[in-house]
Amino acid sequence: MSILYNTDETLRERVTEGLKDEFKHNAIRTAQEVFYTKRGELVKEMGIGWQQLRMHATEVRNHVTDNLDYYVKQFAENAEANGCIMHYAPTGDDALWEVLDIFEKHGASYAVKSKSMMTEEVGLNEVLEETGITIIETDCAENILQTAGSKPSHIVVPALHFDREAIMKIYKEKRGYDGSSVPEEITHFLRKILRKEFMDAEVGIRGCNFAVASTGSVTLVTNEGNGRMVDSFPKVQIVFVGIDRIVPDLESLDTMLALLPRSAVGAKMTAYFSLDSGPRGAGEVDGPEEVHIVLMDNGRHTLANSEFSDMLRCMRCGACLNICPVYRHITGHGYGSIYPGPMGIVLTAGLVGYDDIDSMAFACSLCGACTEHCPVSIPIHDLIRQHRINIVEQGKNHAIEVPIFKALALMWSNVDVYNYAMKMGTPVMKKLAHGEDALAKDSAWIPVVKGWTSTRDFDCLSETRFRTWFKEHKKQQGGGK
Amino acid sequence: MALGNKSLSDLLNPISKQLEHDVVAEHVDLPEWEFVPWRVTDGKSAAELVDMFASEAEKIRVQVKRCKRDELAACVASIVGEGVPETGEACTVVCASDERFATAGLYDALAAEEKVSDVTVWDEAKGQANVDAAYVATYGVTYASAGIAETGTVVQPTSPACGRAVSLLPLVHIAVVDAATIEPTMLTVMKAYADADGKLPSQICFISGPSATADIELVRVEGVHGPMYVRYVVVE
Repeated sequence: MSILYNTDETLRERVTEGLKDEFKHNAIRTAQEVFYTKRGELVKEMGIGWQQLRMHATEVRNHVTDNLDYYVKQFAENAEANGCIMHYAPTGDDALWEVLDIFEKHGASYAVKSKSMMTEEVGLNEVLEETGITIIETDCAENILQTAGSKPSHIVVPALHFDREAIMKIYKEKRGYDGSSVPEEITHFLRKILRKEFMDAEVGIRGCNFAVASTGSVTLVTNEGNGRMVDSFPKVQIVFVGIDRIVPDLESLDTMLALLPRSAVGAKMTAYFSLDSGPRGAGEVDGPEEVHIVLMDNGRHTLANSEFSDMLRCMRCGACLNICPVYRHITGHGYGSIYPGPMGIVLTAGLVGYDDIDSMAFACSLCGACTEHCPVSIPIHDLIRQHRINIVEQGKNHAIEVPIFKALALMWSNVDVYNYAMKMGTPVMKKLAHGEDALAKDSAWIPVVKGWTSTRDFDCLSETRFRTWFKEHKKQQGGGK
Repeated sequence: MALGNKSLSDLLNPISKQLEHDVVAEHVDLPEWEFVPWRVTDGKSAAELVDMFASEAEKIRVQVKRCKRDELAACVASIVGEGVPETGEACTVVCASDERFATAGLYDALAAEEKVSDVTVWDEAKGQANVDAAYVATYGVTYASAGIAETGTVVQPTSPACGRAVSLLPLVHIAVVDAATIEPTMLTVMKAYADADGKLPSQICFISGPSATADIELVRVEGVHGPMYVRYVVVE
């Protein structure tokens, strides 16, 4: 996988497909409501401290962005001093090259992985599998997706689009599971089968939530413990670190951790948060003997010092997805990017440009709920709007809007044309609606109207205009002019 | 440009150029931060923090026992003495090697329990055998270096005397924590590490409750890859 997937389908096709899936809708709606409610309770409990934490996190992240070259260098040098082997990857392909090199040096062919968006971004699994390396996803949801051959629909709970029956069936067919569809039983089956894989794997691959410049440490936030298994038992560990994951010091790490789990899943802390500084020390019996850090840019630096630099603050919590009304309806699969939802629109367009993203930047109502909930105060909806402006200015997309707006401009700037259009509007629409009050799906053959009526009804213009009605009304009331 | 084998400069140059920096700065001072967030633990006394630690831990489904220092061995032994949770079958225990455990007589107390068939005390000389013991153990006992009141978290650094496996592989993790080491938030723990000399431990794990998932239909299930049960023993 790379950042974009299903690129042969248009946004409209993906959305139409998504709107049909009632189960997936309900699952996303429930997830949004659960996370939103729990988050709200915790935010309330923190009083004014919550806003202060947001503002502090914002100033810390901005400071790092403004001095990004310095902090990347400081992190790299300190991680190396801790005994980590550094690999520098200006591009995703550089990162893949480095990883293949590590496998080759060790003659390794068997790896376990804990969830990492960076590895998704470069399509690591596919590349390793092509070279005959077995790579096992160990996060429950990721394992379900890998076993089923499916894609994530949510960044925090990626397998939300499968119900328990479907998951039971997947493991029955592929892994010989013979239990019931009770989530507890399936999960404990996964505990059993994956345990052996963790102990036998030669290489552990993981991501990094925050990297600490002053100590050269990497961190991992997990609930299931698969991240800990991956970084405790395989002898060789590969850590993917994005250049936008860096915080200056341990104190600022606390600020980020006070915000991340609360924003992501409405919990004060996740079950595990580990701070790793180099390979196992002298006399230690477990932990990796060799730690490789792949420090990757892959287009991120272009956001610095640009109109999208705010996006470099993003901590990938998913709070903007959990509040987004558009995401609620089109689901993670609607966007066609591994980064879905409001943050996904801004980041995807920022990283891959406008040519291949179809109309993704327009899958947003600009309501601003994302901005309000963002723990690092990214003006997400403003940035989405800025992408739209750029897209239109560069003539990349939505060229059809130009003649429509020209026609509308003409109508609204000429009284006679306007009055005529208003007069003709009602009877024409009535006719198209077969005498009903709204245009339904069957009007989708009309070029411009199609955009609306293929998914929604479009109310006919009223027979009486408001101004006319108001004049009449005043007359009846007997007052005014 | 060829793939791979890139240097740090190859990574840094485009970033510096984008930031309009001629060279990477030798040193950058942290600014005076404008915001110092208020925390729920502000103004709480040490005793209140211990209570908060216990109540937050219970909220995340950790069973908490509080005892005096001379009751430590008996308190931990009473937990493992119940055998495997729910079934009550005989169990094995893996335990961190710690002066304070030895002084309290914990190792003997554990071995004396009727339902305990084997006790392994972590010993770096035994290498992989420690991990193998933890792999099948019902209980793993550690001495946490600190507790965090705000979140009911225990801080578990890895060391030659206590590997990562002790708090990860067994079905139940028992963390002993001194009340005197309970800090208000993670911030004070981080500050202490920042002020300490020398390299950080290879891993510091912040543990808050049993391993859990909600990946199937958002139903919470405990006991995924790490312990299914977590118990704290707070020594006052």
